[in-house]
Amino acid sequence: MKNAIILRYCEIHLKGKNRGYFEKLLKENVKKSLRGINHTFNVMHSRYLIEDFEDSDYSLITSKIEKIAGIHTYSRCYVVDNVLEEIVKACIVLCSDKIGTFKVETNRADKTFEPNSVQTSAYIGGRLLESNQSLSVDVRNPDFTVYVDIREDGKTFVYTELIHTLSGMPVGSAGKGLLLISGGIDSPVAGYLTAKRGMKLDCLHFHSFPYTGEAAKEKVIELTKMVGEYNGGINLYVVSFTQIQEAIHENCPEEFMITLMRRFMMRIAERLSKKIGSQAIITGESLGQVASQTIESITSSNSVVTMPVLRPLIMFDKNDIIDISRKISTYETSILPYEDCCTVFLPKFPAIKPNLEKVIKAEQKLDVEELIEQAMQNIEKIEL
Amino acid sequence: MIYFDNAATTKPSLDAIEQAKNFYNEFYFNPSALYRDGLNVSKYLKSAKDTILNVLGARQHDVIFTSCGSESNNTAIFGAVKRGVFVTDKGEHASVNSCFLEKKNNGEKVEFIDLLPDGSVDVNKLYDYAKNNRIDFVSLIHVNNETGAINDVNKISEHLKKLNSKILIHVDGVQAFGKIAFSLSDSIDYYSISAHKINGLKGVGALIKRKNSKLSPLILGGGQENGLRSGTENVFGIKVFDLVTKEHYYNIKNNFEYVQTLNNTVRNGLDKELFNIISSDNCSPYILSISAVGLRGEVIMHSLEEKGILVGNGSACSSKNRFSRVIEACGYDNNVLDGVIRISFSQDNTAQEAEYLINSLNEIARKLKGIMTK
Repeated sequence: MKNAIILRYCEIHLKGKNRGYFEKLLKENVKKSLRGINHTFNVMHSRYLIEDFEDSDYSLITSKIEKIAGIHTYSRCYVVDNVLEEIVKACIVLCSDKIGTFKVETNRADKTFEPNSVQTSAYIGGRLLESNQSLSVDVRNPDFTVYVDIREDGKTFVYTELIHTLSGMPVGSAGKGLLLISGGIDSPVAGYLTAKRGMKLDCLHFHSFPYTGEAAKEKVIELTKMVGEYNGGINLYVVSFTQIQEAIHENCPEEFMITLMRRFMMRIAERLSKKIGSQAIITGESLGQVASQTIESITSSNSVVTMPVLRPLIMFDKNDIIDISRKISTYETSILPYEDCCTVFLPKFPAIKPNLEKVIKAEQKLDVEELIEQAMQNIEKIEL
Repeated sequence: MIYFDNAATTKPSLDAIEQAKNFYNEFYFNPSALYRDGLNVSKYLKSAKDTILNVLGARQHDVIFTSCGSESNNTAIFGAVKRGVFVTDKGEHASVNSCFLEKKNNGEKVEFIDLLPDGSVDVNKLYDYAKNNRIDFVSLIHVNNETGAINDVNKISEHLKKLNSKILIHVDGVQAFGKIAFSLSDSIDYYSISAHKINGLKGVGALIKRKNSKLSPLILGGGQENGLRSGTENVFGIKVFDLVTKEHYYNIKNNFEYVQTLNNTVRNGLDKELFNIISSDNCSPYILSISAVGLRGEVIMHSLEEKGILVGNGSACSSKNRFSRVIEACGYDNNVLDGVIRISFSQDNTAQEAEYLINSLNEIARKLKGIMTK
């Protein structure tokens, strides 16, 4: 009787001829994630099996699995040979500390196994009742189910729990994207949702030393790392934004400060994307949340780029974003008091509905090309 | 890297660490052990306590080793008087201020006395309060850690004891010990000190307690430190503390005078159109609090960092706790509070470093002013 973990995927089932590609990608992602942990990894029909790991590594393995997009559920199980008495023994061990009502569900992929599924379930149920006085049978509404999965290759899995995880699609199956990450609550959530749908992310952060300090940058690194756990590792690109902020502040009307900053950020993001092979820009914008996220502001920032800009949170309420942020544990870091953009540059009355013509006119006072070129020359890459 | 944040911590003395290493190689035994080697360590701890008592000229006091200044402050405030009227001022370190807020939350009567503009306690208000109210416990800071203001704690405690001999008085001496020549008055019941502010190690502090003044321990256990602070003593850290204490008191006058000249150089060199000096001439020379009015302290701090200079900040860009509570209590407006930075000196700073600091500060503030007031 061996300990094992069964991993199952969901949406990949829907794929036709491409299915092999998705399966291979998911397999590679799982293997990469479990690198350094002693185990063996086997591919079965529509599922993977992790075996031969140390009991003490179980939590570590499942904590990793829970962050792999494309996995739908997993179960801790016992693996035994297709021998009825061994299967019964495994079920008895599995249920030794359980109380309440149960049923047994047998699935025979190996049709040569005897007795048949119904008889097997009934027999195991009877033996369980004998072994544990705290159990009783309820086939309609049991407290738990004992699953007995008898496979063609001579192995049987027994387990009681299906633990739901991320679902989504394997990271890398939906191309590459560049996430604009600030130190706030929203952008890590946008990154998480994007990675979950299979897009492999890189991150871009705008740092404005000395207006913000190293602590603000460290906070972003920390958040990026957390997003990276769903992304199979991640690269963070840090661009110094100080000169651009100073130039806008000095030369342009105060109310357009943020609008113009966003336009520079988008341009730099597009240039970097082209350089590193990203196919989309991802932002944490949510419609109307702040002045820079009204449809007019989004129109203004969107108009300087041609590549797709994905905004996974665009129709999310703040509370819903916070809920996800708590779920993926970025919330506590996001609310640390180090701001990513110093309040000295925040206008008292930002333009809520910036007029594009006026914005373009204000921007004409700046040497946009030169400022972007300078910023592009000083990009720091941090591999996380 | 040029270091002007010595009120936050100081560079540990490598010489003292080296000596302590050799010592600890031999004296690693548990000081509570009953065999001779253990007793020898215990005897050593006694001599380290004597060092502290001697430099402070304290005859009526004992020393309790703790893990830091904050623990010493907490021990005194929570261990001396359980219930009653607690008085402090608005210029205390967070480790005192938070304890008083906790007392207040627990329903005790707590009074925070106002500050004068330089950060020292308004003694007239304190005495007035003491004349008109019953007080059980007073906690004052000896040298204000943000402005350097010196409270004449001996005089104040003697006066308070005259008004009511039963008042128990605690003084947070963390920024004074080893820096300001001072004899501990018998009127002071508890005095907190810390090793890492005078080139010792982090993780070592002490509470000096008047022999007859009552105290209940915060940490219970094996009964170390006369039952007042259980936990095996940090012998290595105490040895370093012992050595740097001797070193600092041997040079205390020279260091004070030397640091005063550095302080004066910076004070005089700053462009008065750009900077307000918050620390008065009578403050500890080790701390100089200034404000670049209308600018942001944190931005100046980071700009100095870029030039290889480290200073402390009194204000932060963050919206939470943006201003220093203590400087605010000195009565300054937001424009000044925004621009506060703290320069704190050590005997190891040089005149060249001070010049470089002045030039950098003036240059940065001038540039930022240009950007901010376009």
